[in-house]
Amino acid sequence: MPLPRLFGLLLLLLAVAAARGQAKYSISGTIRDTTSGEVLIGATVSVARGAADGGAAGGEGAHPGQGTGVAAGATTNAYGFYSVTAPEGKYRVVISFAGYGADTFFVMLNGNLRLSAKLIPDTNQLKAVVVSSVRKNANVTQPLMGVQKLTTAEIANVPVIFGEKDVLKTIQLLPGVQSAGDGSSGFFVRGGTSAQNLILLDEAVVYNPDHLLGFFSTFNSDAIKDVTVYKGEEPADYGGRLSSVVDIRMNDGNNQRYSVSGGIGLIDSRLNIEGPIVKDEGSFFVSARRTYADLFLRLSKDTNLNKSSLYFYDLNAKVNYKLGEKDHLYLSGYNGEDNLGINNLFNLEYGNSTGTLRWNHIFNSRLFSNTSLVFSKYNYLINDNQNNNDVNISSYIQDASLKEDLQYYINTANQLDIGISVTHHALAPGILNAGESSSFNSLFLPKKYSLESDAYISHRWSPTDNLHIDYGVRVTSFAILGPGTFYTYDSLGDAIDSSVYMGHSVVKNYINPEPRFSASWVLDDVSSIKWSYARNIQNLHLLTNSTSSNPTDLWVPSSNNIKPEIADQESIGYFRNLADNKYETSVEVYYKTMQNEIDYKNGAQLIANENVESQLLYGKGRAYGVELFVKKKEGALTGWVSYTLSRTQLQIDGINNNQWYDASQDVPHNISVVGIYKVSPKWTLSSDFVYHSGQSVTYPSGKYINNGEVFFYYTDRNASRMPPYDRLDLAATVIATKTAKSESSWTFSVYNAYDRANAYAIIFQQNPNNPEQTQAVKYTLYKLVPSVTWNFKF
Amino acid sequence: MTTYQMTSMIFRAAIVALGGLLMVLMFCPACTKVINLSVPNAATQIVIEGNVTNGPGPYQVSITTTVPFSANNVFPTVDGARVTITDNAGLYDSLTETAPGIYSTQGNWVGQPGNTYTLSVSVNGGSYTGTSTMPQPVNLDSVTFEQVSRLKKSVIEAVPNFQDPPGVGHYYQFAETINGSPLNKIFVFDDRLSAGNYIHQPLADDSAHLQAGDYLSLNMYCVDENTYNYFRDLAQQQNTGTFAAVLFTDVAPANPNNNLSGGALGYFSANTTQTWTGYVNL
Repeated sequence: MPLPRLFGLLLLLLAVAAARGQAKYSISGTIRDTTSGEVLIGATVSVARGAADGGAAGGEGAHPGQGTGVAAGATTNAYGFYSVTAPEGKYRVVISFAGYGADTFFVMLNGNLRLSAKLIPDTNQLKAVVVSSVRKNANVTQPLMGVQKLTTAEIANVPVIFGEKDVLKTIQLLPGVQSAGDGSSGFFVRGGTSAQNLILLDEAVVYNPDHLLGFFSTFNSDAIKDVTVYKGEEPADYGGRLSSVVDIRMNDGNNQRYSVSGGIGLIDSRLNIEGPIVKDEGSFFVSARRTYADLFLRLSKDTNLNKSSLYFYDLNAKVNYKLGEKDHLYLSGYNGEDNLGINNLFNLEYGNSTGTLRWNHIFNSRLFSNTSLVFSKYNYLINDNQNNNDVNISSYIQDASLKEDLQYYINTANQLDIGISVTHHALAPGILNAGESSSFNSLFLPKKYSLESDAYISHRWSPTDNLHIDYGVRVTSFAILGPGTFYTYDSLGDAIDSSVYMGHSVVKNYINPEPRFSASWVLDDVSSIKWSYARNIQNLHLLTNSTSSNPTDLWVPSSNNIKPEIADQESIGYFRNLADNKYETSVEVYYKTMQNEIDYKNGAQLIANENVESQLLYGKGRAYGVELFVKKKEGALTGWVSYTLSRTQLQIDGINNNQWYDASQDVPHNISVVGIYKVSPKWTLSSDFVYHSGQSVTYPSGKYINNGEVFFYYTDRNASRMPPYDRLDLAATVIATKTAKSESSWTFSVYNAYDRANAYAIIFQQNPNNPEQTQAVKYTLYKLVPSVTWNFKF
Repeated sequence: MTTYQMTSMIFRAAIVALGGLLMVLMFCPACTKVINLSVPNAATQIVIEGNVTNGPGPYQVSITTTVPFSANNVFPTVDGARVTITDNAGLYDSLTETAPGIYSTQGNWVGQPGNTYTLSVSVNGGSYTGTSTMPQPVNLDSVTFEQVSRLKKSVIEAVPNFQDPPGVGHYYQFAETINGSPLNKIFVFDDRLSAGNYIHQPLADDSAHLQAGDYLSLNMYCVDENTYNYFRDLAQQQNTGTFAAVLFTDVAPANPNNNLSGGALGYFSANTTQTWTGYVNL
């Protein structure tokens, strides 16, 4: 739909909405945890007709058609803010959040009302908290599809390798999300690649979420409050990647009292300090973790080993301060680095840094504003002093952004989200410094600059009580800036033309609208049908071609040769809650097409190649699947079962005779089962089981001799498949001591409990015992891995 | 050596280190197993290897075919082919089959740097051609040796020393023969990042193939760009069999690009040759 028409329709709808208005007032405020003062994201606020003596809701004078008596409802945004609107009258306001006791207020609404509340965490989750008339079916009514929220409790209890709780590993257990491999932080969402996931930490893009080649993620779970995963159908305020958004929010810090917590595990230790700057007004949070494998290396007698380094660390810090009733400032930052080196001969360092400054401003009870200044950088540095070569190589990608987001709560049936953002990207593809004695000359690949400007408008609209619609459009402008020489290439990859641009001149500007639409039709209190369509654009592309995630994988911007990647995804789903909303079930079917997908020529050279764009091939993709999900949210036993049946294929000109072929991330069957059982207040048992088909791979289809050595002959790409994968993990957590002020616990876990030798890679090689034969060798990364972690808090 | 190769080499070193350290610290020591696997079986393909050098002839072209992965390493020779080598200076040589699948030049000629040679092969209804220009020779001044630390061991590497001519576009290939046995390891180098420098680049080897006192014969070839690219890509397939190398495996392995038409595997190279011999001493 052309944009002007879409905006026209939007304005018309708003006019209609406004015409329905009458004397109404709003209730707004911020919801927090009472013990820590942390804001609660996604808490539910239900407003029902009724007086203190009125007892049960649903009665007199309820909003027409609101059979349950709920006149209005809202959920808190990422800053804990909510706003609901209702006609003048007496109301009962129930505020609830998973894992917390609900709070009820009786209010007389005859003017705009500020109602901020603090909820008390359930200290004993065995105790059934029964709050009738609290709406727990938000998953059914909200129009958004393909969205999953993980709580820190879920992340904390799902067993993971080395007992190192990890957001990105836990995400891989959700429907439609596939692990990129054993010991990988990478994941595939609905047929997308790892590089098509937008990973945000307090709004800043994290370009490389991996530590130690992906064995660990860069997210220290202690520092994380909230994780939301959007599987390609995110609201219009997100954009930039084709297949998903993982929105991770850091803890704000306890604004009630000082607290120290931490843990000691086999691989690393963690320490967190938080406390109020001024009680109730502001707080700080600092979290650090570091691995100490290299400390053991020092004990080694081997002179190469004991002078080697191998570690990573993460440092998260955040401060927030309330400037008044209407203004709140947040400053958060992250810095992490991997460092590995051998004996002063060779050293590799890489890491991310992010920084976010945010200013929340409440213009009035219906208009919430957030302004963000965001910085992000990923870089690597290699020092090589072997053989007197004295060379160092470095590369980075660096972003600076300014964003403004407005949320306008018009009335119960209408909410408008509007925002703009501007981001400057700077990429240094490769800088090589060679010393005097080196055989090499220094090399500076030209830096690449681009300016991304985005604007969005999104309308949440409930035309009837049964129909909820969330639609909008995001417009992305991606300007490729000079200075630089820009080449065009023929089909052989030879430059046929070049143009020189001066600094700050615009080489090319890609403007793309991204329409987003989702709707839910509520069939009854516990079931709904949803439909969704979204277009996503990706202007930064990751070039990688090896099994593991490499620190040197290169980000490249769209250019005169590389077109923006485009994905169109449509999905339909049936959602139903059972047993008084204790169980959530859903079936979602999706179909996605992708344009301008990037692949590589055979033998492509991607690293430090000025003409890297000459090594690329372009094509299209398609992905489709069905996702079944059952989740038990309450009781001693919680958890979920998910099954995904899907296909992902590519058609790239120049590969497999231009025929469709299975993408590397094509994994037809994927089952995940997660169970968390609270045996007693002291003991919690948890387990997860994973089964999935093998990824498609290229096996040799023959062999030949060259200069006396045997080499393998390859024909079709991805014509074979790895063996299926399955694994069971177990964990037990016991609370050793617990007082009002302090707590300590032990977690024992076993990764791959039945010691399955899953294939990490299959390598074809000469049989060392028989030179007449070749053989296939299966490499397993992790077999059974036990671990123990001690956590404390005081 | 391209930056790609250098970074790739450096990364290999990094990952060897990392993989090694992780293995030492946390993984099961031997998580490998030989398995039976069904692999695709493609139609047989012709494999041609041919060289012309500035050293004395006759020069040979060998023709074999691919076999299925599960077959023994016995590669059938291709007999009865019509094989010719021509150049841009009027040379025409029709090679004769001197052993099964081995074709030798007949004329008493020596390859000339600067000449462009064309190999033509016709067999079983297929025809294959390849063209290669012999570069000007670069003198190998000397070979020295260095002790290099690898994780948990140290190895000896040979270092060819030579003056790269001005300007980019010089490509080198090296081959080692240790105590009379050829080492099946591909060494290539190009001057994209080293143009005009005095080169002392060690021939990197993860294994302790060279020992002090060994008798080494080191060949340096000046090759053309296609030959360099072919062997550079082929070298990527040389799996060292370590876990670290597994982490670096290409997700989409493919045949190296070569200079032969008609879909044949292999290469045809016109290159200079110079041999250094001596004992390994540090």
